[in-house]
Amino acid sequence: MAEVDVSQSRGKSKHSKKKKRRVGVRIDMTPMVDIAFLLLTFFMLTTTMNKPQAMEINLPPGDQKVDVPASNLMTLRITEDGSIFWNIGEEKPAKATPVELKNLLKEKNRANPKLITLIKVDRKGKYIMMVDIMDELNLADITRFSLAPFLPADKALIEKI
Amino acid sequence: MPKIHRKRVGFKLDMTPMVDVGFLLLTFFMLTTQFKPSEDIQITLPTSHSAFKIPPADVITLTVGKDGQILLGLDSQILREALFGPAARLKAGVFVQTSELTNLLIQARTRNPKLKTVIKADKDAEYGVIEDVMTILQKVNITRFNLVTDLEKN
Repeated sequence: MAEVDVSQSRGKSKHSKKKKRRVGVRIDMTPMVDIAFLLLTFFMLTTTMNKPQAMEINLPPGDQKVDVPASNLMTLRITEDGSIFWNIGEEKPAKATPVELKNLLKEKNRANPKLITLIKVDRKGKYIMMVDIMDELNLADITRFSLAPFLPADKALIEKI
Repeated sequence: MPKIHRKRVGFKLDMTPMVDVGFLLLTFFMLTTQFKPSEDIQITLPTSHSAFKIPPADVITLTVGKDGQILLGLDSQILREALFGPAARLKAGVFVQTSELTNLLIQARTRNPKLKTVIKADKDAEYGVIEDVMTILQKVNITRFNLVTDLEKN
């Protein structure tokens, strides 16, 4: 039908038709915008911005041994139930709460800058104990520390108190 | 009187800028979102004040669960397939025994020497397992690694 129309009056009708089409192209954007905002809210609500942080550990290569005079060695022993015992050199281990430990670490390191901290955590202890202690050391700017296995001898030493 | 009438009849608000901003935010969130890979074990991370960032790529993740299971995760599909076979291609990690760990770590690192190691352990995991893992790492000469923690607030 349309073709017939065109053939009948070529010039005018063609022009007017084209013009009309060009003038008013309107698309209803509402549904698209709705969907877009829906997705936006979805992504905003599901995104969690926090990335987990990490702690860095440098272990010495396995075969390396360092001799440290006993007076420069502070040993922290963490038992199975999470209590902390500390001693310097050959002293008797004393119990400390985490809060006391914080001050203790600062104090002892100020008194002896060469102090090396040795952390011994019982195998049955919790991982978070180790992380907490290392965090305390990091906060106190103590970078010279090492981890050592908690031997039966350590257990006996603490049980004697 | 006619003025007031006219105003009430045609109230139109141009929504274009709002929609533009909306789309901008949408693209931002769509591009930055990384969906968490489904984890085979639930991990509650310990908290610390350390603000060290985890390397974004080329990582070996050693996940230690509450009960001491060890999950070895690699972020590269190709490497995963090479180590554990095609079945592991789509899995984030594979459960391993401590005895296998030494070999797997050596293999992974010979294929990609840039790999960095990250230990992601549950806060209630037994320290003994972590100690074993660290001993193995030391044995295979990975002396620098990271422990994943959540940032402690205060």
